[in-house]
Amino acid sequence: MVVPATPSYLQVLRLVAAGLASRLAFSIDEIEDLKIAVDEMSAYLTGSQGRDGTIEIAFEVDTSSITIRGTGRFEPGHKVRAGLTDFSKMILETVVDSASLEQSDGIPTFTLVKSKQLETT
Amino acid sequence: MTERATLGKEQVRELFRAYRTAGSPDEQAEAKDQLVNQHIGLVEFLARRFRNRGEPLEDLVQVGTIGLLKAIERFELDREVEFSTYATPTIVGELKRHFRDKGWAVRVPRRLQELHLELTKVVGHLGHDLGRSPTVAEIAKAAGTTEEAVLEGLEVAQAYNFTSLDAPIDTDDGGSTTFADQLGADDEHLENLEYRASLAPEMAKLPERERRILYLRFFKGMTQSEIADRLGISQMHVSRLLNRTLGQLREALEDT
Repeated sequence: MVVPATPSYLQVLRLVAAGLASRLAFSIDEIEDLKIAVDEMSAYLTGSQGRDGTIEIAFEVDTSSITIRGTGRFEPGHKVRAGLTDFSKMILETVVDSASLEQSDGIPTFTLVKSKQLETT
Repeated sequence: MTERATLGKEQVRELFRAYRTAGSPDEQAEAKDQLVNQHIGLVEFLARRFRNRGEPLEDLVQVGTIGLLKAIERFELDREVEFSTYATPTIVGELKRHFRDKGWAVRVPRRLQELHLELTKVVGHLGHDLGRSPTVAEIAKAAGTTEEAVLEGLEVAQAYNFTSLDAPIDTDDGGSTTFADQLGADDEHLENLEYRASLAPEMAKLPERERRILYLRFFKGMTQSEIADRLGISQMHVSRLLNRTLGQLREALEDT
């Protein structure tokens, strides 16, 4: 999925993530955590005002976990900060199993992984 | 809780007479205060019927009190009916109106508002019955709707505006706590934060309850459901406050 790099698309990304997680029988708490992570990473890419460019988001679902990858491709002059704030890192550590951010030729890509923790069936 | 002597029907009517025929504004205010105090128990009783919808009881009592004040203004002494009987529909009406209209920051269709209220109830009940956070499928089944509708309802929750964001939090010992009190010296997370200098002032600006939720979630590792239980509010309310707080902090830290 490729969407404009503006905060107004965030809710759509949250909904898609939640919809996929619910198919894996994630609990409400886990889904809310996943949404927080999507918010955190997407907000890092778009900034509060949005940037000229796009975010390419890929969702991968296996039997018990979901992986979300997001790459920001921006017009010249639109840059993200060098890395996540420590506060962001702390939030992500709490809400997902793993969160990473890479920059390749100035193109940032984040990866989030969250597995189902609780036995709900 | 203050002690309240319960007055009989005639004494209440007497208070109304004193209120209507008061010679000075002071006397009138005094009579009105007594009328309110006399019926605040009724307001609390009625407000409790709405407490599982995600708003703190104290806020609902405030809303109900507005209904009570309206009823006091409108009550006519020549009516045969007791004031409490007369006031009940007005107070309930005010509470319902609060949920329907005032609570929504964005105009949300009635259908979704009702779904949201239903979900708040169902998530709370299911969580307690199951002893864990329920899944979307479980919620959909219990609410008699689809998973898509549940997801939509949960997302709609983010549009819900609460009037009491600055309300102080209740603590177990009844005293007030500050965020600083809650952060023990052993909180390595915070010690390691190089952003402490910029984060601390932003956190200080947050209402007490938001700070506490943030602390319990990210420093104590409690789940949203556990926090909801601890604070006596719904999980959806916790989610909403948390999302909003994180958004504020994110924006504040963006330029640092």
